[in-house]
Amino acid sequence: MDTGGTNEQVAIEVKGIKKNYGHLQALRGVDLKVYKGEILALIGDNGAGKSTLAKIICGAIQKTEGDLFFWGQKTEVQSINHAHKIGVFTVYQDLSLAPDLPVSDNLFLGREIMRTGILGRMGVLDRKAMRAESKKALASLGIGLKSISVDTRALSGGERQALAVAKAVTWANTALIMDEPTAALGARQSSIVYDTIRAASARGLAVLVISHDIPKMVSFADRIVVLRHGQIVASLEAKKTTLQEVLNYMLGGKGESKNE
Amino acid sequence: MSDQIQGEAVEKLKNGENGVQPAAGHLSSIEQKDLTPIQMVLRSTAFWILVILVVLVAIFGYLTPNNVFLKPGTLFTVGLNASQMLILAVGATIQLASKNMDLSVGTNLILTSTLAAKILKMVAGTPEQIMAGSYPNLGMAIVAAVAASIVFGGLFGMINGLIVTKLKMEAFIATLATMMVYWGISLVITQGASEVGIPRALQLGFGHKKLLDLIPLPLVVALIISGIMWLMMRYTKFGLYTCAIGSSKESSERSGINTDLYVVSIFVLVGVLAGIAGFFDLARFATTNPQGHQTDGLLAITAAVMGGTSLKGGRASIPGAMLGALIPTIIQTGLVIMSVGAFYQMIATGVFLVIAVYLDQKRYASLLD
Ligand SMILES: Nc1ncnc2c1ncn2[C@@H]1O[C@H](COP(=O)(O)OP(=O)(O)OP(=O)(O)O)[C@@H](O)[C@H]1O
Ligand SMILES: [Mg+2]
Repeated sequence: MDTGGTNEQVAIEVKGIKKNYGHLQALRGVDLKVYKGEILALIGDNGAGKSTLAKIICGAIQKTEGDLFFWGQKTEVQSINHAHKIGVFTVYQDLSLAPDLPVSDNLFLGREIMRTGILGRMGVLDRKAMRAESKKALASLGIGLKSISVDTRALSGGERQALAVAKAVTWANTALIMDEPTAALGARQSSIVYDTIRAASARGLAVLVISHDIPKMVSFADRIVVLRHGQIVASLEAKKTTLQEVLNYMLGGKGESKNE
Repeated sequence: MSDQIQGEAVEKLKNGENGVQPAAGHLSSIEQKDLTPIQMVLRSTAFWILVILVVLVAIFGYLTPNNVFLKPGTLFTVGLNASQMLILAVGATIQLASKNMDLSVGTNLILTSTLAAKILKMVAGTPEQIMAGSYPNLGMAIVAAVAASIVFGGLFGMINGLIVTKLKMEAFIATLATMMVYWGISLVITQGASEVGIPRALQLGFGHKKLLDLIPLPLVVALIISGIMWLMMRYTKFGLYTCAIGSSKESSERSGINTDLYVVSIFVLVGVLAGIAGFFDLARFATTNPQGHQTDGLLAITAAVMGGTSLKGGRASIPGAMLGALIPTIIQTGLVIMSVGAFYQMIATGVFLVIAVYLDQKRYASLLD
C-alpha cells in the first residue's frame, strides 16, 4: 500500500486501527503512513470515519485497537496535549477557538509567552510579545486581520478559519491534521489556506487533509487515500489518478476489493 | 519537552522563519484603530455601575438628615458591611467567567467559620479557661483559625469542583446540593446556635480595627484580595485559561489545556475566598451566624452580574463586581438611616438587577455590530 519511497521518513504511521462506538464500527482496521513533507488527502463519504481517524491521531479520542507510530516510534497518544508535545496540531471540522478571547490570545492559547523572571514564574503573561508575534505570524501567512486585539467572535467565519489554520501551522513541527479546513471559506480565503498548507509541507511537515473537494484534492495533494465504511479502499498517487477513479473507489463502483 | 518545542516555535516566529512563505493576496490589510481609552471606559459596565453608585450616594446624601450619609464614617461603614460580599462577588465573577457558578459559597462560609471557631477555641485554651475569658494560646489559636478557614473553605470548594468535573454535573445542581449539605452539617454541629466564647481580641485586632481611626481593616483586606484577583484575571495564564474555558471548553481542550484541573482549581480558589469571608464573620461579630448567609451565593452572583459579567462565560469584570457588591449595602444603609424599612432593599436590588442586565445585553449586542 505504500506508494511513497521507503527511504523517506515516516512522520505518522497508523497500523490496524479500529474504533468502535458501542456496536458501531467507525474504523475497521486502518493502515496508513504519512511521510515527512507529504500532503495526503483523506477522502470518503459522510460517515466514512475520516474525522474519527484524525481525532485518534491527534489525541482527541482513544482508539479501540491498533498502534500509532510517530517517526517510527510507537506512541500511545494520551491527550491532545500529548499530541502537541509530539508536534502534531489539528484544525478541527468545527472550530477550535474561544470566541471571547482576542485573536492573539487564541493564537497562543495553550502555548503562551510568559514574562521573564519572577513575574513569569507567577504566571504573568507577556501579552505585548504575544500580540507582536501574532501579528508577525499572521502576516507571514498572508492573513491580514483588522486588529489583533479584537475578540475572535467579531471575525468572519473565513477569518476565524484562517486563524485556526495559522494557529496549527505556527506550532506544528511533526504533522498538520486538517479536517475540512476550507469548508467555511470563499474562493480567495481557501486559496490562502491551500498556500499555507503547501508552505507547511515544504517546511517538512506531514500534512493530512480531510476534504470533500475531491477535484481540488486530485490537483493539490501528493497522495489520495479513500476511506469507505471505516476501511481504506484505495491509496492513489495524485499525479497518476483521475477524478473518475477516485469517485469510483469512494462510492464503491470498483467493488469491495481492498486495494493493496 | 513542551517548553523546548514551544521555545523553538517562538524562536522561529521571532526570526520570521517559520518557513511559510507569505501567500499572495492579503484578506485586508486595513489596520483598524483600537478603541480610545475614553471609548473603552464608556463601553465598560463597571463605569456605568459607578455612575449609578455615585447617583445613589448623592440621593441618600440629600435625603438623609444632616446629609449624614455623605459623612466618611457612614461611607466606610457601608464599605465594612459590604466587605464580605466584596470577596464573594469577586469569587462569583471568576466562576461565571469560567461558565460555572457556586451557589454553596454562603453555606461553605457558615460551615467553615463554625469549624474555624471550634478549632480556635480548642487551640486557645481549656474549656474552663475560655469560660473564664482567658486565652493562653491566643496567637497560635488565631493562626490556626485563619489556616482552618482557608483549608476548609478550599476543601469544600474542591468537593464542588470534583462533583462538577468527575461526576460531570452542572455546577448549578452540584452546588445547589452541596449548599444544602454544608448548611445541614453546620446545623448538626451547632444545633443551630451561634458559637460563643470567641476572643474579643479578634474584634479589637481585626474586625473592628480602623486604620487612621477611619478606614476599617476588613475593608482594606477585602480590597487587597479583590485587587490581587483582578490582576490575576487580567494578566496571568490562570486568568486567560479561566476565560478560555468559559468561552469554549472544547476549544480550550483542543488547545491542550487540562480543563478539569483548572475548573477544580477555580472551585478551590472560590472556596478559599468563602472561607476568608467566613473568618471575617468571626472577627467582626465574635461569633458565627448559622442562620444567615444561606443566600450569599445568589447575592454574589447578583453583584457579579450587575457589574457586567454575564452567565455566558468567557468574560470577567472584577471592578464591576466590586461596585455591584456595594449597591445592596448602600441601599440598605440609606434606607435604615432614613428609617424606611430595610426590606425595601431587596425589592430595589431586584429591580436594579433587571435594569443592569438589560442595559448590558443591549451594550453587548451593539458590540457585535
Ligand atoms: N461520538 C460518537 N459517538 C457515536 N458514534 C459516532 C461518534 N462520532 C462519530 N460517530 C460515528 O462514526 C462514524 C464515522 O464518523 P466520522 O465523523 O468519522 O465521519 P466522517 O468521515 O468525518 O464524516 P463527514 O464527512 O460527515 O465529516 C459515523 O457513522 C458517525 O455517526
Ligand atoms: Mg468529519
